Amino acid sequence: AEELSFANFTPPFHTVNASVIEKMNADLMAATDGEVSVRGYHGGELGAGPVEQYVRVVQGAADIAWGLPGYTSSQFEKTMIVELPGTLSNEDDGYAAMWAAYDAHLAGEFTATVPVAMWTSEPNVLIMKDKVVRTPADMAGLKVRVAGATAAEVATALGATPVQMPINQVYNALQTGLIDGVITGSSTLSDFKLDEVASSYTFGANLGRLAFYAVMNEAKYNDLSDAAKAALDSSGNTAISKSAEDAWNATSDAGVAAARALDDNTFVDLSEAEAAAFADVIAGVTGAYVAKVGGEDALAAMQGN
Amino acid sequence: MSVEVTGFIGLATLLVLLAIRIPVAFAMFLVGFVGICALKGWNAAMSLLSSETFTLASSSELVVVPLFILMGNVATATGMSRQLYTAAYAMIGHVRGGLASATVVGCGGFAALSGSSVASALTMGKVSLSEMERFKYDQRLSTGVVAAGGTLGILIPPSTGFVIFAILTEQSIGRLFLAGVFPGLLLLMMFVLTVWIICWIKPELGPRGPRSSGAERLRALTGALPILLVIVVTIGGIYGGLFSPVEAAGVGAALVVIYGIVTRTLSFAAFWHSARSSIVTTATVMLILSGAHMINPFLALSHVPAFVGGALVALDLPVLVILALMLLMYLILGCFLEGFAMLVLTLPIFFPVVLQLGIDPIWFGVLVVLTLEMGLISPPVGINVFIVKSVAPKVALGDIFRGVTPFWFAMLFTLIVLIAFPQVSLFLPNTMFN
Amino acid sequence: MGLSANLGALGLLVEVIVIMIDVVGRFFGSPLYGSQDMVTMGMVVLVFGGMAMCDRDGGHIAVDLLEPRFSPAVNRFIDIISALLGAIIFLFIAYAIYESAKLSIMLNLSTNLLRLPKAWFQWGLAAFSIVTALGMLLRAAELSLSGRDIRREKATEL
Ligand code: NA
Ligand code: NA
Repeated sequence: AEELSFANFTPPFHTVNASVIEKMNADLMAATDGEVSVRGYHGGELGAGPVEQYVRVVQGAADIAWGLPGYTSSQFEKTMIVELPGTLSNEDDGYAAMWAAYDAHLAGEFTATVPVAMWTSEPNVLIMKDKVVRTPADMAGLKVRVAGATAAEVATALGATPVQMPINQVYNALQTGLIDGVITGSSTLSDFKLDEVASSYTFGANLGRLAFYAVMNEAKYNDLSDAAKAALDSSGNTAISKSAEDAWNATSDAGVAAARALDDNTFVDLSEAEAAAFADVIAGVTGAYVAKVGGEDALAAMQGN
Repeated sequence: MSVEVTGFIGLATLLVLLAIRIPVAFAMFLVGFVGICALKGWNAAMSLLSSETFTLASSSELVVVPLFILMGNVATATGMSRQLYTAAYAMIGHVRGGLASATVVGCGGFAALSGSSVASALTMGKVSLSEMERFKYDQRLSTGVVAAGGTLGILIPPSTGFVIFAILTEQSIGRLFLAGVFPGLLLLMMFVLTVWIICWIKPELGPRGPRSSGAERLRALTGALPILLVIVVTIGGIYGGLFSPVEAAGVGAALVVIYGIVTRTLSFAAFWHSARSSIVTTATVMLILSGAHMINPFLALSHVPAFVGGALVALDLPVLVILALMLLMYLILGCFLEGFAMLVLTLPIFFPVVLQLGIDPIWFGVLVVLTLEMGLISPPVGINVFIVKSVAPKVALGDIFRGVTPFWFAMLFTLIVLIAFPQVSLFLPNTMFN
Repeated sequence: MGLSANLGALGLLVEVIVIMIDVVGRFFGSPLYGSQDMVTMGMVVLVFGGMAMCDRDGGHIAVDLLEPRFSPAVNRFIDIISALLGAIIFLFIAYAIYESAKLSIMLNLSTNLLRLPKAWFQWGLAAFSIVTALGMLLRAAELSLSGRDIRREKATEL
């Protein structure tokens, strides 16, 4: 019997555990009659933080790890396209788009590993404190936390001042008013306790989303039996990726429902026309990025064209 | 040989290496590296060696370490620390151990600025140790006060300890911060009381000075205005949303440097000396933290915490006894592990039990963080004691451990009070949130 | 070693300036682009820049509880072993980081906003580690040949 180690930089209560790690373990055990199993190492037990996750798998510190292309965006220039506003609609399945583009356009960015799941988060929303945003003009001059370079351009296009800071400092920054808000998925409401400090939420604008990967060491993968390989998503199956994406959406829905239950919060659900106003302002950012990385074909594949 | 046995052998080896005076960081690197090699292979060990050192050295949170040390160094070079302690001496120098008590209060104030015990102990150590020496305070008392007082950093909000606990257990950060306020103040008072008792038994450790006149006090206080102003601006800037707690360290350092330039009390040579000395101290601290980060994956792979936790949970005992046993485990693990590594390794095992037994999770969080703080000053791996040693190289480590012992007992007493009276922790969060 | 410490001190100075520009700029609505990239990579330089000097100054903390119980010969032997162990650890760190730097180039890794190549900083870290290791080897040699301990001499100078 073989036990594969799965490096998880988040706590064991995080959405990823049940939807990816435990599912992968169950699927592999079932496919191999218990010969191959997966054990999660949580909270950075196999090395701290999200940034080095990919390298940990290549070097063999872990057999499998999950991470965000956004933390090492220079490696994932084309994969990152799936995150951009307008690439997908807020209702599209991100995992399906990523796998559709993988073989022809993204595989080159996954050197020395095999992706065993790829998925995206719930759509980004505006999470604000004390500032209600209904139109792009409402964003003028507000300080908004962003994760990466393209997100910073989105914020700038909206007239906001982008502030770069790690997600775990956002709670404090929102509380003290250092930033007015953050553009991110609503699963952070529960994951990083932002619901305690935020007071206004704007839904409906297409502000992109986050992408995720789970990768396995290439040599380890090649040593697996065909039955084991078939249980992982690299073999054309997308069960684990779908499970992850569904779970992210469920976490997000629960976080939003909990926040909506509090009466001191403001919820803005944009109409189609109001959402279009945001899309118009942001449109140039995605196009410029795709052109810069030569990702037109990858974009088309993600959009199913 | 089972992986657990490898884990216990590793811990025993670490103890022996430390006992024979192998530098702490080297011992942790050696045991961690060899242990990971044994459990997961050479490639994994090399990978962790490179990723853990680089990740830690490029951590955006630990930037506060060199910045706060620089602030402390420059404050000392420009005479600001001296002015602060001259003022404190004028106010309470006539009380036995008055300056040590003032240092405890200073640590409490600094804790409102910094979320980390390491930064608190470093900065307060830089500022206060030579000053207490100037007034003939015993070095065991002064280093002990700083090592213990520094631990207030993670009990009084903001606190990285509570943030990690909250994220690991899905509890409210806001509630935990509020829950830490009264226990933090209680502990602060216990530390002051401990200083008073020590100096009552042995007055020569913290000698009394003459009582100052009102005019002398006013003059001394005026002299300390610049540094007090820097502290007020830095704390005010955080709560006023001008900068983050991490940036506050940079702002504080910049302010003391600007003061030094404007008042011509800081030459370029003196500044450069302060900067170089800051990075050398930072290197010491970071190497120990990197070593602790090598032990962490080794223990995770050996399943030792899961093994010990599982055994504990399997016992059929009353709730309070299990709680006491869990805290005892933290005390014992705290002798070897860095506090946050310990949270990551143990909470996944303990926390479900805590919920199942109906123990209030916020209360548990306060108790655990206080226990972690005790681990920071207990031998052989007492990170805060090492920190103080790095700013007081002339004092023997044994003397610092001896000096901090009475404060360890003060913490134990506080822990017992907090267990007996959960309201001390829970009053504030329950009234503010409900 | 002096050079690496000076580079480290320079890193610290840059750190303070970058944070101040960022804080003041943000107040007026234009924060410094990529400040976090600069701060974290500056941190790498300053942490490892101080490493060599840290050993020179006897900065590596050891549990000295039993030191008085050991004979001078035993203590000297432990000092030599510690210096050698330290040298080996830093050579290992240098090698491990150098290997990771190759991977960083292969994966095109760089900081998120300013696109500073990660390999540059890994090479720097490896170089500082080698300087540190050489310093420790030198100290081990001095200790075993002449019994001279640079750290004690430094301590009395201070
Ligand atoms: Na604090
Ligand atoms: Na300890």
